Amino acid sequence: MRTRFSLYLFTIPALIVLIVFFVHPIIMTFNMSTTNFAGIGEAKEIGWRNYERIFSRDRYLREIWVTLQFTVIVVASLTVTGLFFAAMLHRLPLIRNFCRAALYTPAMMSFVVVGYIWQFIYSPINGGLNVALTDLGLGALAQNWLGDPDIALYAVAFTQIWMFSGFTCAIFLAGFAGIPTEIEEAGRLEGASSWQRFRYLELPLLGPSITVSVILTTIGTLKTFELPFILTKGGPDGATRTLSIEIIDNLFGQYKFGFASALSIVMLIIVIAVAMVQNKVLRDRENVT
Amino acid sequence: MTTATDIRSIDRVEVDRGHIARRIKSVLVHGLVLFLVAIMLLPLFYMVMMSFKTSTEIAQDPLGLPSSLYLGNYMNALASMGYVRSVLNSLGITISVIVVVVLAGAMAAYPLARIQNRISRIIVMIMALGLATPNFVTITPIYVIFRDLGLLDSYVGIVLAFASLKLPLAVFFYTGFIAAIPIELEEAARLENCNNWQVFWHVIRPLLAPVTATLSLFVMLMVWNDFTYPLLLLTDKDKFTVMIAVYRSVGNTGIDPTMLFPAAVLGSLPLLILFAVFQRRIMSGAMAGAVK
Repeated sequence: MRTRFSLYLFTIPALIVLIVFFVHPIIMTFNMSTTNFAGIGEAKEIGWRNYERIFSRDRYLREIWVTLQFTVIVVASLTVTGLFFAAMLHRLPLIRNFCRAALYTPAMMSFVVVGYIWQFIYSPINGGLNVALTDLGLGALAQNWLGDPDIALYAVAFTQIWMFSGFTCAIFLAGFAGIPTEIEEAGRLEGASSWQRFRYLELPLLGPSITVSVILTTIGTLKTFELPFILTKGGPDGATRTLSIEIIDNLFGQYKFGFASALSIVMLIIVIAVAMVQNKVLRDRENVT
Repeated sequence: MTTATDIRSIDRVEVDRGHIARRIKSVLVHGLVLFLVAIMLLPLFYMVMMSFKTSTEIAQDPLGLPSSLYLGNYMNALASMGYVRSVLNSLGITISVIVVVVLAGAMAAYPLARIQNRISRIIVMIMALGLATPNFVTITPIYVIFRDLGLLDSYVGIVLAFASLKLPLAVFFYTGFIAAIPIELEEAARLENCNNWQVFWHVIRPLLAPVTATLSLFVMLMVWNDFTYPLLLLTDKDKFTVMIAVYRSVGNTGIDPTMLFPAAVLGSLPLLILFAVFQRRIMSGAMAGAVK
């Protein structure tokens, strides 16, 4: 019994690191969120004022809305493109591994690099996209992609979708690989078309993969910071200003540590709430189909 | 007699025709998917191509191939971004983070894999919370703590900050792996009067190599690509990681393509090579991490 208990000594280094850099900071975030702490000097308790400010001003409500909108666009598109490529590649074993790796490559790159490349692709002057459209005779479609408040959010979202389609595709391919071959064989013998097999056999069996993919991409996208930060700095006119950009801006632009903490807590609550709802809904759906 | 052969040959023609039709369809589908994948890779091709063009070429023929492999952009980028220094910083930080994460992670996983009780469950829960919490939630206090402890702009600080991000994942990976190691292996060692540490170090640790390899790739990816932590915690140019060196040299306004593209290539090249070599392990590791 003594040896068993002393075994827990092994967890001490990990626990120290986690307590100092995770548990303690989380508690600090909660505490600071009800103060007007400005980085230095005394922090004054101001109760729920930071939270009242967040939920009473259009500016912050709009940022929450932008964050959610961005997440819905990205997650829905990632699920569809991932499923499309995975379903195709599942049927093409010859090129499956090559294409899976090729599609995954952008996810290996950093947001900074991806942001810079796409910033130039979207650039109105000599930018790759507008020049390509003009060369193809579609000059009328050329846009100021990142400068137009109606388009910018979609342009940033598209970049994120480009980056992570290979990731969701790989998750779904793993799901496809787990489908028993007898089921597919049976479908084929019954004369089901490729689409019918996808719709009625594979899609229902991919339920767990869809759950994993949607929850992971949602958590990852809700805290999106780097791409809008590099591509648009939250502009034009706040059209791509996500919660995370506001947090960093309060922290390092204005040294409003207390307010930044309150924003962090709001983000944490949104992430937890969304993940829990998704988990419940998607798991229920898995059981029905 | 003749009619019978006719029918048979007609049959064969039909079969052949069906076969050829399927062949053509298969080639078309392969071609279509390869074409779509190629379109997805266009931005990468664009990045490499642009990095070799002079500023006149970029202005006059934005999409054309470079007329020669002009290396001037790379020379300028290498000189102004402190590339070699930043690569060494990233490597050093990566190795240190790997040591911390692997050692602390494997050690913590050992009791968690062997003892199932309330204490283990509480520790596992803390780890799970650490895994799920976005680092934006802790970023403000981390900055304050680092400033108060004098850890801003220090290698120790950034290493510990990164280590705390990947430690929960390491504990989960190792716990699953150690739980699958037969306990008989340990019992033999205990009969030889080995203490806990000796059992861990001589029996368990040598078996962990596959998990360690996967984790190391994860850490490498994070240290190389993460932008937020070094942006906040490092201001000393000599300590910059690669991505922050890219960011600081390219800037955020009035971007100059002759600086941007070579910096982007230099910044991603090491990891893309790593991916080309360890593609299978990285993807299967990422998928294992995803499912946990």
